Amino acid sequence: MSDSLRTVVQALEDAAESTRTGYRFIEEGTTAEPFLTYGGVERATARFAGAFQAMGLNKGDRLALILPDNQDFIFAFLGALRAGIVPVPIYPPAGLRKLGGYLDNTLHIIAKSGAKMVVTDTDIKRLLGRIQARASDLRGIVTVESLRRAKDTLVPVHVDLDDTAFLQFTSGSTSQPKGVIVSHRNIAANVQAFMRDGLQVQDGVDSGVSWLPLYHDMGLIGFVLAPLYHRTTVSFMPPLSFLKRPIRWLEAISRHRGTISFGPNFAYALCVKRVRDVAPNTLDLSHWRIAGCGAEPIRAANLRAFAEKFAPFGFNARHFLPCYGMAEATLAISFGRMGEGIHAERVDSIKLAEGQAELASDDTSADEVAEVVCCGSSFDDHEIAIFALEDVDGLHPLADRAVGEIRIRGASVTSGYYAEPEITRASFAGGWMRTGDLGYLVEGRLYVCGRSKEIIIVNGRNYYPQDMEWEASKVRGVRKGNVIAFGTRKPLGDRERVVIAFETNIADEHAREAMKKELRRVVRQATGLSVDDVVVLDPGVLPKTSSGKLKRATTRELYENGQIFIRTSTRDGSAVGTAKQLAESQLGYARHALRGKPS
Amino acid sequence: MSWTHAQIVTELIRVIQSHVDDCERVDAASELVGDLGIDSLGVMEVMADLEDSFSLVIDEADLRDVATIGDVAKAVETRLQQVGRLQP
Repeated sequence: MSDSLRTVVQALEDAAESTRTGYRFIEEGTTAEPFLTYGGVERATARFAGAFQAMGLNKGDRLALILPDNQDFIFAFLGALRAGIVPVPIYPPAGLRKLGGYLDNTLHIIAKSGAKMVVTDTDIKRLLGRIQARASDLRGIVTVESLRRAKDTLVPVHVDLDDTAFLQFTSGSTSQPKGVIVSHRNIAANVQAFMRDGLQVQDGVDSGVSWLPLYHDMGLIGFVLAPLYHRTTVSFMPPLSFLKRPIRWLEAISRHRGTISFGPNFAYALCVKRVRDVAPNTLDLSHWRIAGCGAEPIRAANLRAFAEKFAPFGFNARHFLPCYGMAEATLAISFGRMGEGIHAERVDSIKLAEGQAELASDDTSADEVAEVVCCGSSFDDHEIAIFALEDVDGLHPLADRAVGEIRIRGASVTSGYYAEPEITRASFAGGWMRTGDLGYLVEGRLYVCGRSKEIIIVNGRNYYPQDMEWEASKVRGVRKGNVIAFGTRKPLGDRERVVIAFETNIADEHAREAMKKELRRVVRQATGLSVDDVVVLDPGVLPKTSSGKLKRATTRELYENGQIFIRTSTRDGSAVGTAKQLAESQLGYARHALRGKPS
Repeated sequence: MSWTHAQIVTELIRVIQSHVDDCERVDAASELVGDLGIDSLGVMEVMADLEDSFSLVIDEADLRDVATIGDVAKAVETRLQQVGRLQP
């Protein structure tokens, strides 16, 4: 199929002819699953578009969306696009965490994007409180309940391929959220690349199933926008429904004969852990021809465990499709080969740390083997190359198997970050977008190792904090997902010191000492690296983004300032006191080592 | 079945206790994440168990204002009241 590029608006209007395919909304607590054909979606989004115009929003104005309900989000998002308005998706408050951090982040995004209005639900509007007074461009907060009743008609607006479609704020673990400018051309080019070339989607035949949050690129581009271009049906379920009961994802795939569904590594791991007692013949995963895995480091072991567990239900391990992508590339950068499943290389971890991915030999001891999953190759009209970090002009791409920064170029790549000229400039090197990730190529196939900004360099060797965290979390008592490894060279600056901080529920001092010892042992065994300091923390101390990602850079700063131990819980004054005491005693090491004087 | 406030709190503590290490003391003021060290995915597992215990659906809006076990109890009570299964 040769398809000239279309805007999302054009794709939606074309899809509206479809009387068979569209969006299905699986809801919690009811078996009703409202289905709207793309014709119905076209009409509903026209009403939202008309309502936005009636509110005085014009082409190019930014509109923040904080909408936890899938249907509301999709109508508002596509409605905005149809009026040429630039939506700015913001994740809803997650709960169980302090609202303060969430509000700061939300305010930052609203102010930075210059959003004129926020659309949200009545309940969240109440939580947002006085945010309006703190964002100068913001004229008001409208509730989606009022929009659902709107009867306004859309005044047609011409939308061009080079117009900005939306701003995708990324909640990175290393910095404040930045708004990636995504144009209609970016979307059209990326969709063509991954739907047509990557997935060989059959128009109107394939069927997607997604629990992914829509304020994130994988859910939004992959399952809301891309299917419009190919008129394929998608069944959406609330993310919370999956997180509470992972089986619901698999049941939805089974019930709706889903052929395409994606999830991060953790989603597959969660199914292995949480899905129990499935009766034979109750789940049919045999139609699932593409089980995509991306958005976070891929652990081959997790996916193998999933495949083994669900093989009796028709799941085929060859249908795994590892992929690599980021909002700066609209969504997808590389996809594995269809039907190949997980392809991982066993490389010598010592050599890898030195910057060279050499295949491990039979003699390499098991401790010195790292398994790196292949994330496939680039798409037509797109390029991936590896450069030394210091090659800021992007002049000398590295040879195969040399580890360096992954850089990309092509029509899917963003023009930059909204209202961030300096960060944008620094993100490009001679026409290449710097991903900030490290990896290597083998005959055009990409292997991703980790984030370069977070890499720890000791004695000229590169160590990936994710690998250390993975090892550390095997120690009994370490809270899963609450381990951070980082390097620090402050203030002595001679060499990087490796610090691992983790949370535990275990309060006993002796037990904690034993855990520290065990952690040093497992990390040394796996990476050959001696950890300089291990910090044991009470639960809830490590800083996280509002979306729950660990903040490595913030942790490093807190550590360097001697503040890492201060508990964020407000409940119990004495607990805070204890934590502080603990901090003082444990800080001894840091003070001696880092400041060179006793306190 | 219908529930009294005291029964709700007892059941909540029973469910949550089954998700944390034995050494943890669980009471109404305990914060799920901050005090009990349940991570965000663990909280979801707790919610699924609570749904089973109380035959309810707990949705994302119920959790926004929630930090402590007492808050969860309140959210459960509100839901039970809506369906007429809360005893005064």
